Amino acid sequence: MMRARGYAVLVSLCLVAPFARAAAQGDPRLERLDAATRPVVVALIDSARAVGLPVNPLVERALEGALKGASGTTIATAVRRLAADFGRARDALGPGASPVELDAGAAALRAGAGPDVLTRLRRARGHRPVTMALAVLTDLVARGVPIDTATTAVLTLAATARDEDLVDFRRAVERDIAIGAPPAAAASIRVNAAAREARPGRP
Amino acid sequence: MFDEDAVERVVRYLRRSVRIDPALDHRVMDEIAALPAGPAVPAGGVWQWLTGRRLALTPLGAIGLAAAFVVAVVGVWRVRSTPDSVEPGVRGFQFVLVEPHAANVSLVGDFNDWDAARTPMHRTAGDGLWSTVVPLEPGRYRYAFLIDGRLWVADPTAPTTRDDDFGAPSSVLTVGGEGL
Repeated sequence: MMRARGYAVLVSLCLVAPFARAAAQGDPRLERLDAATRPVVVALIDSARAVGLPVNPLVERALEGALKGASGTTIATAVRRLAADFGRARDALGPGASPVELDAGAAALRAGAGPDVLTRLRRARGHRPVTMALAVLTDLVARGVPIDTATTAVLTLAATARDEDLVDFRRAVERDIAIGAPPAAAASIRVNAAAREARPGRP
Repeated sequence: MFDEDAVERVVRYLRRSVRIDPALDHRVMDEIAALPAGPAVPAGGVWQWLTGRRLALTPLGAIGLAAAFVVAVVGVWRVRSTPDSVEPGVRGFQFVLVEPHAANVSLVGDFNDWDAARTPMHRTAGDGLWSTVVPLEPGRYRYAFLIDGRLWVADPTAPTTRDDDFGAPSSVLTVGGEGL
């Protein structure tokens, strides 16, 4: 049974790869890369596409590098690293994760969240998308909130909060930080307040 | 991180009270009063024009007229339902940067394929406020400002990306909504 499934995947990759390569090579955006870098990036994108990872963010990352004047090696390294992060994010979030979820998951991993955090967030959100929860987690870390504090805060809210609530929470923390609150304290105080609101009648 | 004086200037500019000339209402009403009146159409004449005519239709002609009516209504409905004309989920986002000494500023990011020519920003005030509005679908976008084609600046009002692979800062914006 397993062997038959393995053959099926192999045959699928063989069938898809030529079309994927044609698609990547035919992407006119990649013509902005120099002649030495382009085939490397195209090959990386082909590999990502063949295993079902989102490719547009990889193209965008390569274009970002080209505009910022990065070397071909740096661009290829960045694309390869992002594709690897997508793979780790998908392992943690599950095979049904959307491209945007994988993008947000990869960013959260780079912000310092462990794969287990992504898995727990997925479980906490149930059938709802996990993108905004991951984005808020990453944004909090970017604002100086320690990763452990940010993780605890978002996991506390994730089960019951809507996306709008998560964005409001992030904005509140950002406001507190902007007027001088230590980032960790701002996140802790705001999440405690939100948790109290969610459990009225409890101190 | 960023020029707080410049931010203060922007805040003051945006919060300034706008004074409207008190005589504006009178001038507008005078202009309206001075406009020439249109030709008068007596209601009785219209009624006579409508009722004074007789239209004879054969059964086949009536069916054809009804069919034409249906085709016209369906056609209008389909034109209004065309996805291109509605673009659900797309919202306009304003990006603002204070850069008094810049000659030109471009907004570049995942939404314009990092093409510096696609989204030039416009100077909207004398004290160096640059802005532009970009329609965005739900998603996650990395972006940055490019000043005079050589200096990279992250958006001081947005979180900075942690995955800076190229030695120049970028910001990140997550747009919520359906399909995220």
